[in-house]
Amino acid sequence: MTLHQYVIDAAATAPEHLAVAGPSGAYTYGELDRRANALAARLRDLGVEPGDRVVVWAEKSPETVAATQAALRLGAAYVPADRNVPRQRVATMARDCRARAVVTDAQPTSQLAQDLPGVPVQDLHEELAPPPSPVNEAVDIGDLAYILYTSGSTGSPKGVCISHRNARAFVDWAVAELGATPEDRFANHAPLTFDLSVLDLYAAFASGASVHVVPHELAYAPIQLVEFLYQERISVWYSVPSALALMMRAGGMLDRPAPESLRAVLFAGEPFAIDQVRQLAGWTRARLLNLYGPTETNVCTFHEVEPRDLRRDRPVPIGRACSGDLVWARRSDGAVAEVGDEGELLVKGPTVMLGYWGQPAHRGPYHTGDLVRVLPDGRFEYIGRRDHMVKVRGHRVELGEVEAALSAHPDVAEAVAVVVGHGMDARLVAFVLPRAGREPGVLGLKRHSAERLPRYMVVDEVHRVAQLPRTRNGKVDRGALTARVTRSTRPVENSASTRD
Amino acid sequence: MSTDEISAKVTAFIKERFLSGDENKELEDTTPLLEWGVLNSMNTALLLMYLRDELGVVVPPTGIVAENFKDIRSITKMVNDLGSPQRATVAGTE
Repeated sequence: MTLHQYVIDAAATAPEHLAVAGPSGAYTYGELDRRANALAARLRDLGVEPGDRVVVWAEKSPETVAATQAALRLGAAYVPADRNVPRQRVATMARDCRARAVVTDAQPTSQLAQDLPGVPVQDLHEELAPPPSPVNEAVDIGDLAYILYTSGSTGSPKGVCISHRNARAFVDWAVAELGATPEDRFANHAPLTFDLSVLDLYAAFASGASVHVVPHELAYAPIQLVEFLYQERISVWYSVPSALALMMRAGGMLDRPAPESLRAVLFAGEPFAIDQVRQLAGWTRARLLNLYGPTETNVCTFHEVEPRDLRRDRPVPIGRACSGDLVWARRSDGAVAEVGDEGELLVKGPTVMLGYWGQPAHRGPYHTGDLVRVLPDGRFEYIGRRDHMVKVRGHRVELGEVEAALSAHPDVAEAVAVVVGHGMDARLVAFVLPRAGREPGVLGLKRHSAERLPRYMVVDEVHRVAQLPRTRNGKVDRGALTARVTRSTRPVENSASTRD
Repeated sequence: MSTDEISAKVTAFIKERFLSGDENKELEDTTPLLEWGVLNSMNTALLLMYLRDELGVVVPPTGIVAENFKDIRSITKMVNDLGSPQRATVAGTE
């Protein structure tokens, strides 16, 4: 069965049930079905055929969700792009994946159309008449369903290709694990470009439940997020730990009784500090689930927080394989890691991507680049990365891509980026070596980056330097640079509490 | 608090927190903060906390729209419209 069949089925059995609620309004399953059909018919008229790609560049909303469903019904794949991603980057993505059409709420659509000659640009909100018969092209579950562009180490983004089968393996596992029912109300915190949103949307649709979209601007507004949780009577919450930490620290969440509706809190994308997990566990009786998996594998391991985890001063384990995958760790000598060993996590199974767009199909186990330790009970504990990839509030950031964008500024000779701090306090910091006689300003550099990169890859801090420290073999000494900013921004209360 | 005072406080906060002091004096009250990546989602959250703690203004969820945060002028207008009833005490940003 395909990924879009969930909505078609729910529309047939419970057309009046709420499907998706968002800032601009709400759709029942019947309405979502009708909108997806009407837009699919329009896209077909514009030339979209099975096997094509449709870029959806829009704010999160019920209409945006309908647009993704429309592409799938045509046998095409959708390629989501956040509305705050610069137009230039959307055009680059659309060219890279050879998109047949773009659906957007950006106004005027003509600007994007100029960047993409020959590619029709459809207004997301245009009123459209329903087609005489439903659009439902034959689709094989091995076909491409969507492409998620993530930061690439080579300096340009790379497209992770996920098939209907890949996504369904994970979604069906999640529905079963959660015991989701039509009464559930899923929150959708993550942007549609981030694979956390796949669970929110499709686990809701697969169980005939509703999904409640957190507007982009509210994603890190603590008081407002907490209010959302209560107002929307959310039963399943899923986000990066940073958002939960913010709700606890600055949203007043712990001062209120946990909402009765809340029965599961899921988190993924970055480590969750154990003291914060303890606070969360003390506040709610909801199940707490730690999910793990790079975009390339969807969710491939999970762990439900247990009382014994709260007594350990270790991060919550990422747990054991799920979604029908096979997961193991390989030591640096190539042997399979045993209890107590460390190694790189490898994943094989139905959730592993088809491959990167424009590259040969992926074969064999996927090497995550994540280092784990095997715990006595066979579960995995996350230790860190093998490479320079870092995360900022769950978003993957290849520092090379950030540096490439900054270095392209006419006043910059060289740029180095590092991440300082963890979780909610993580900051992307750049050290910029100006060209002789130039003094690029922070605002100018941010603007320059924002025109090329997604918002989460725009540096938080910029330091102009007269020279970059080097290690003995001539490489930039990232450790020394990181130490500079870690020292200078250490809060005062830390030193006050240290006796010496 | 007058509009000028609100504007000055918001400007000072944005310069200090998000622009490393803005040494090149590039920030203006019509600088497009969202478009140029000055206000990302986390920075917007920090600004909201500042508005609450230092200006006593809680922005309702319906007020958190791009239109209200696009530049210093819009933020100032929003804060002014929401009013700052009790806690309009002086609080330095340094």
